[in-house]
Amino acid sequence: MSEAVLQLRNLTKTIGMRKIVDNLTFDVPAGEIFGFLGPNGAGKTTTIRMIVGLISMSKGEAIIKGVSVRSHFELAMTHVGAIVENPEMYKFLTGYQNLIHYARRHNGITKERIKEVVSLLGLQNRIHEKVKRYSLGMRQRLGVAQAILHRPSLLILDEPTNGLDPAGIRELRDYLRKLTKEEGISVIVSSHLLSEMELMCDRVAIIQAGKLVDIRSLQEARSQAQTKIVIEVGDPAAAEQLLSAAMDGSGMTVSGNQLELTADKSAIPHITKLLVASEIEVFGIHAVQKSLEDQFLEITGGEMIV
Amino acid sequence: MSSRLSKLIRNENMKIYRRSRTWIMIGILLLAVGLLSGIMKWDESRIDHSNWEQQLEQQNLHMKQELTDNPDSGEEYSSYLTKQIKMNDYYLEHDINPQQLSLWSYVSQSSNLIMLVTILTVVIAADMIAAEFSWGTIKLLLVGPASRSKIMISKYIATLGFAVMLLLLCFAASFAAGGILAGFDGLNQPLLTVSNGMVHESSMIIDTLQTYGFSVVSLIMYVTMAFMISSAFRSSSMAIAFSLLFMLLGNTLSALLSQYSWSKYLLFSNIDLTRYLDSGTPLRPEMTMTFSILILVAYYVVFQFIAWLLFTKRDVAA
Repeated sequence: MSEAVLQLRNLTKTIGMRKIVDNLTFDVPAGEIFGFLGPNGAGKTTTIRMIVGLISMSKGEAIIKGVSVRSHFELAMTHVGAIVENPEMYKFLTGYQNLIHYARRHNGITKERIKEVVSLLGLQNRIHEKVKRYSLGMRQRLGVAQAILHRPSLLILDEPTNGLDPAGIRELRDYLRKLTKEEGISVIVSSHLLSEMELMCDRVAIIQAGKLVDIRSLQEARSQAQTKIVIEVGDPAAAEQLLSAAMDGSGMTVSGNQLELTADKSAIPHITKLLVASEIEVFGIHAVQKSLEDQFLEITGGEMIV
Repeated sequence: MSSRLSKLIRNENMKIYRRSRTWIMIGILLLAVGLLSGIMKWDESRIDHSNWEQQLEQQNLHMKQELTDNPDSGEEYSSYLTKQIKMNDYYLEHDINPQQLSLWSYVSQSSNLIMLVTILTVVIAADMIAAEFSWGTIKLLLVGPASRSKIMISKYIATLGFAVMLLLLCFAASFAAGGILAGFDGLNQPLLTVSNGMVHESSMIIDTLQTYGFSVVSLIMYVTMAFMISSAFRSSSMAIAFSLLFMLLGNTLSALLSQYSWSKYLLFSNIDLTRYLDSGTPLRPEMTMTFSILILVAYYVVFQFIAWLLFTKRDVAA
């Protein structure tokens, strides 16, 4: 793991008696698209808003590129570009004037840089139109443009896909991929949409009830995905007895004539041999890949909203 | 550091002047100056100016008669009459028709429109922070390399800049209207005052600026109050409504409550400093200019502190 672009240390938000975010401590490695995943109300948005200073921290610390957000807010924010939910722009200004507005906050953003970002996001044809005539997808693109103007090291997106249609979501995903490649930006994105995160992220932190449940690399998760083997037999009771003795029967379930067990695909020939040797009639054996969704639902106890 | 603040102020200015609403406001102000000047000119034209010298002489005769007939009618009244007689003599001597409007008459009447300038600026001020919440742009505004305090200062300065622009416009427009309607040759006309039995000439510009200056005091107080309300409410319509309500009710309220001694601590009882000039009377006898200035400063500090506290310390969760 390379140098961490964001470090959270015991980050906590308490409102009244309730801990919205509870003692989060983890590092986000540089150069990745990192997802915050969790059901609605898990504290993803609160965490992100604490990182960018919209919400005060009750306890703990967020450190961006080694700079504490709490004690050196202005410096820390020079490394950050953000879109918090749907990017709301000044509708009475043109797209270009909006970008000027955000560019003025940073030092040394040239007209050329603005032009470059505008064409990177394919906005050049309508950049001088008022934002009130933009579609949501175009506003989203303008939001991304605003966030990357100053070449941040870290791009933070909070529920960026809310309100976007499937085409818009796909477009956003493509831009994020492009940005990590072409501008070398690390991205943190929060979502409750698992399928989205699966397509977008390299790694996800699963947050539930304000607590960190797990951090997973999606690539590992994909390759290590365990397989479910479904066997249709004539005598399921006998088969269960046989197989649970032979394979320490992890998570074996019987429903009707079907026997389900968790094992690697490579176990299938062995299982077949055992069943045939015991003269149990086999009508079919097939392997089912357990989806990431299933895995996450297991981890979060089925509370995931997909 | 300061260049960053000036960039933030430019941002705020862009957001003020790129809105059509702002230009409608400027149009309303210009229209009001035009209307006021037009009515003044029309009113003047209805008076017969042909025998103004005779009229003044007649007036003086009346007043002198009054002085000799009722010598015990009161110190104030008789000194008023003597002053008036002195003035009329001066007019006759220097061939000045007091009924005839000069350029400066238009300019000094325009100071009545500072109330309108105040209302327009209060609308802008009340909208300054609340609108960012209404638009949802507050999130992107705050997530940047500028502290909330700096953003607030830039917004406040831009609001005061708008007020200054409107004041200059009001002055310039009435000056232009006066020049067109009464001629620019009245430019050097002095302001006449009587003191110690002598007529004094003084500069009209300084007198007008003084009137503007006193109005600016109340403008700043109302605008700062509206700015505080703006950071308290996160909806611009609420912020505008409350600011205008306080502003318009305030004067009535302070007049109603002036019988109670505690009313002297109210903002609205102190906001009009012209009460302490020669021609005015304080709301309550024990009040002085110094007292009112101290109260205003205290209110100003409290308004700014509350606005700052509300803007910088609250979470932006919605």
